[in-house]
Amino acid sequence: MPLMRHSNEVREMAGELGKYKLCVSARSADKAILKRAQDGGIVTQLFKFALEEGIIEGAIVAGPGDEPWRPRPFIATTVEELMSASGTKYNISPQVSWIKEATRSYGLDKIGIVGTPCQMQAVRKGQLYPVGLRDVPDKIKLAIGIFCMENFSYQSVKQLVEDHAAMKMEAVKKMEIGKGKFWVYGQRGQVVQLPLKVTHKYEQPGCHVCLDYVANLADVSTGSVGSPDGWSTVFVRTRNGDDIWSKAIAAGCFETKPIEQVKPGLELVTKLATEKITKNQKTVEERAKFGVNKSLRNPYLGPK
Amino acid sequence: MSKIVEISPTTRHEGHSKLVLKVDDAGIIERGDWLSITPVRGVEKLALGKTMDQVPKIASRVCGICPIAHTLAGIESMEGSIRCEIPKDAKLLRIILQSANRLHSHALHNILTLPDMYLPGTDTKINPFSPQEPVRSVAKRIQRIREIGQTIGEIAGGEAVHPSNPRVGGMYKACTAHAKTKMYDLAKEGLVLAHEQMDFMIAILRNYQKRDWAEVGGKQIPIPKTLGYHNQGYMAAHPMYGSSNLDDCPGWNPDRWTDVRPWDWYMGEGEVSLADPGYPIGGTSPVGTKVNPQMEACTGVPLYDGSPVEVGPRARLVQFKNYDEKGTIGQQIARQMEYPDCLYTILNALDDYNPNGKILADHIPQGDGSLGWAANEAPRGCDVHLAKVKDGRVLYYEMLVPTTWNFPTCSRALTGAPWQLAEVIVRGYDPCVSCATHMIVIDEDKRLVAQKLIQ
Repeated sequence: MPLMRHSNEVREMAGELGKYKLCVSARSADKAILKRAQDGGIVTQLFKFALEEGIIEGAIVAGPGDEPWRPRPFIATTVEELMSASGTKYNISPQVSWIKEATRSYGLDKIGIVGTPCQMQAVRKGQLYPVGLRDVPDKIKLAIGIFCMENFSYQSVKQLVEDHAAMKMEAVKKMEIGKGKFWVYGQRGQVVQLPLKVTHKYEQPGCHVCLDYVANLADVSTGSVGSPDGWSTVFVRTRNGDDIWSKAIAAGCFETKPIEQVKPGLELVTKLATEKITKNQKTVEERAKFGVNKSLRNPYLGPK
Repeated sequence: MSKIVEISPTTRHEGHSKLVLKVDDAGIIERGDWLSITPVRGVEKLALGKTMDQVPKIASRVCGICPIAHTLAGIESMEGSIRCEIPKDAKLLRIILQSANRLHSHALHNILTLPDMYLPGTDTKINPFSPQEPVRSVAKRIQRIREIGQTIGEIAGGEAVHPSNPRVGGMYKACTAHAKTKMYDLAKEGLVLAHEQMDFMIAILRNYQKRDWAEVGGKQIPIPKTLGYHNQGYMAAHPMYGSSNLDDCPGWNPDRWTDVRPWDWYMGEGEVSLADPGYPIGGTSPVGTKVNPQMEACTGVPLYDGSPVEVGPRARLVQFKNYDEKGTIGQQIARQMEYPDCLYTILNALDDYNPNGKILADHIPQGDGSLGWAANEAPRGCDVHLAKVKDGRVLYYEMLVPTTWNFPTCSRALTGAPWQLAEVIVRGYDPCVSCATHMIVIDEDKRLVAQKLIQ
């Protein structure tokens, strides 16, 4: 990949939505998956298919952790384990930390991994420069990226739910960001919506230099934005991703609709991606001037 | 009148060493000195004051071929000092790791040995990198055996080089049932290859033994029937794994070990008086070169019961399996005979291994400063680490590495051979010189006599 010299060039080269072979709106054809899924159950369904077909032997997913709604990455090698990890948990799950262990004490030769755009960048960087990842690069067989505007620390989400939404963490059934709001659904049926403005100060500062909304480097990336409720927008990006996706389609794993025929469609995805890039670009540029003669380097520019 | 030949550096082994040989008019070695010229690492000094968890990891960095042996010996010397017994399943994982290390190391050594050997029935030396058959399929087999060893090591130990999984008190991670199956499959595949490779190597080595001459630097050099014979003893702690002070019947005894300073052991100052520019890879050192093995040697000379001993595959087979063949070829054959043992040990350990078992001791004491030691049977021989740990910190650390034991023994084994074949004898020991350079010398009264060298 050539060094990207100017910030504008990044967008021109990759575009807001990155490179992709195919974009559709899709949902799992499996009712059991849809019932537990955040939206269209794309990640769970695709990993399930890959696991059953032997494309992967295990997948690094964000499962339940020690505290309610705190994700803990683990290696799912059965469909039951996969199912236990479905649904979005809005805080950090260090997925990449398990990638080497999967090839070691788990003895896997074919690994799947799901993660945010930054985690996809880490996976690809690790494949390109496998420092500390000996014998790992060729074993990553399916990398699924999820759309991400920013992430929260566990303490932040706890504060949002327990203080702002006035609900106990263990009493929450689902969390969701959509339609400009942060939604918290309680197990007793209550629904609380917080304006996104409230959540901003809880965001991780590190997320504000990220110029990738739709996981440009994943094999397949997916997220709710752009598709109707219960459906997900899917970008199939790599040859490998295309191969697995078309096999899954042929096996009847997904219902799909052309992205052009759904509302709000790609227009909204592009809008949000542009928003993220424009907003974070400012932080990146501010950081260049930060400090006394010790500016932080723009991570998207090559060293001078 | 005796002449002095110097071969520097010696080739096709790990590290930097040289040979200073006093030869008679017929070119037969009267006295040989094989010495390490790799600079001293000073790991023993670096270890002081570090935590007992750090030191074995640092110690493993002395070498990239048998870091597994150093890690395990280091960790077990710490466990010996703090008196910590580890759970059975952790021990089994360590045994698997150890055997996998020996498997890949022996296979690597085949590549270094083969260029000295001849294709049976011909006067053609073997080039293991040749694309022609039958050599190519042998090279591929060696690579596959190494790959199997490294992969099993990677699964059981976290890394094939500098394993991350072993820790004081057991292991960090247990292998899953899936990983166990994978290791089992690999070991089964390796077993077939290992038998083939052992048979092939023994045939090649026996063929060399039957030959009258070997070609070195364009000359036909007679091969003596006593090539590499010596009258020193053997030392081995265990046929496969090792022993520590926690064992009921320890396989090694620190009271029987003393050191001698190199200047009390090696030859004094001299001058090269015989040179052969045609000797492979640049010739021997030119006439007039000053040599001084006493001062150049970078190792102490460890003694067991007051005399140098041989360690390694033959020592293990002599101690535990009544093997009795002397000489370089006998030593090489012993190494090949260990191939299947590595894999049988892995398979047996896997049979006993429970993926859900405990792998970390419930209580890890922090140590009271008493001496602990572990003698690990590394591919090249008995690798002894000694440690004293108090309150989790290392007060004393010592590594007695296989090739350190072998240096003086091999020097004795050179006597009686034509000087051109000295390197063949050296390679029989599969030397790993880098890790062997250590310089804490303890005399018969257990006093430190040469520590100043690394202060």
